[in-house]
Amino acid sequence: MSEPRHEGDGSRLPGKKREPRADRGLPDELRALGRSLDGLGPGGESMAERVLAQILAESVPAPVAEPTAGPARMRRARRWIRKRWRMLTAGLCGVLTVLVLTPPVRAAVAEWFGFGGVEVRYDPSALPSSGAHVPGCGTSLSLGEARRDAGFEPLVPGELGMPDAVTVTREPKARFLITLCWREDGHTIRLDEYPARLDLGYTKSVRMQPRWVGLGRDTGLWFAQPHLLSFWMLDGDGDRWTRSERTAGPTLLWTRRQEMTLRLEGVDSRERAMEIARSVRRPDAVR
Amino acid sequence: MIARVRAGDVEAYAVLVRAFTGLALRAARALGAGADAEDVVQQAFFKAYCALGQFRDDSSFKPWLLAIVANETRNTVRSAVRQRSVVGREATLREAEPLIPETTDPAVAAVHDERRTALLAALEELSEEHRLVVTYRYLLEMDEAETAEALGWPRGTVKSRLNRALRKLKRILPAELDPREGGDEHE
Repeated sequence: MSEPRHEGDGSRLPGKKREPRADRGLPDELRALGRSLDGLGPGGESMAERVLAQILAESVPAPVAEPTAGPARMRRARRWIRKRWRMLTAGLCGVLTVLVLTPPVRAAVAEWFGFGGVEVRYDPSALPSSGAHVPGCGTSLSLGEARRDAGFEPLVPGELGMPDAVTVTREPKARFLITLCWREDGHTIRLDEYPARLDLGYTKSVRMQPRWVGLGRDTGLWFAQPHLLSFWMLDGDGDRWTRSERTAGPTLLWTRRQEMTLRLEGVDSRERAMEIARSVRRPDAVR
Repeated sequence: MIARVRAGDVEAYAVLVRAFTGLALRAARALGAGADAEDVVQQAFFKAYCALGQFRDDSSFKPWLLAIVANETRNTVRSAVRQRSVVGREATLREAEPLIPETTDPAVAAVHDERRTALLAALEELSEEHRLVVTYRYLLEMDEAETAEALGWPRGTVKSRLNRALRKLKRILPAELDPREGGDEHE
């Protein structure tokens, strides 16, 4: 893209000599200075080995291009990445934690997304069992009790109204998960809410690439296919925690204003899931 | 190549790494990573890989990568004592000396030790913006468009800041050490 020249930019025009002539030598010197920084340390070959070893060791899935939905969408995504750069890299540290606890997945892991409380990886070898079902909430607390126990305010989707049941689960490192459940036409809709603070709550192993969705200022991922969901729960003694795994059905996963990771399960239609996600607000604003 | 990486071909990424290691190391060193340059570059390539999904197909890889290197360098340098980076740079340059065959590039040979130290010291005195634009444009030999993209500035800004930075450098640099001064004195 060529820009119109400003008047004050006349130093670039041929025939003008406003730039001090001595400056001309300086760029050459600076270039030479730059080149003098080369030639040390590892060449491309050993650096490639180091980088590949790191990628493999940390089982980072291959980056997959975001679906292009126009430049505005891409700009948003880039802004999103910039804003969450720290969170994303911290997510990588989380990956390491997972690897300590689970055998490294050497399969071609081809997708990686870092969400505050969730790590998503594409693993073609992950075989979800048939018959995914959404676990219900169990014994319910009130929203106020959930807030007190978990230390953060649960959000409620206006689209679904007040939940039928609410539970709080203790996650590793003194984090809490609030789960809201609704019964609808004989099945469960479940919304997990996790304060997204650089911690790893879930690992999702998916066979099909999830799809990026825009939710106003927030960004989410839609998993249309059943996938494996791994998560950690504290044992009865509250000290040791174990990993458990189940097959999850279609899921919408999104972050809300960098503060919260939400995960909606039990809604098969992407459009409806997005509507529900958009309707999430503080309980006092929901009737 | 990026499409191949995104298709899951990790080896294709190795090709990219091989192609850009030299430049990335130069960038890290020029921006003050000192002895940490290799680790910074490794980490930058790693992060670039993780973020490659967000790379825009219509943009060029070089400024994108260098922006990540710069960011990584900044994080590293920030966490170290600022002084260390200057010492680190000088140490790097001293180490570099025997590894550069004087015959390969007369321009490199022309820049003597003292002059280099003076140049580095002068760069240190520039503001962050001026130092960055000089580093990208000249030390990393990027063209104006790439510099603009890497810094996220309009091209006009790159131009004007570059001019100002060069003038400032010129003022800071001790004239008697400039080996080129004599060749082009008539203004």
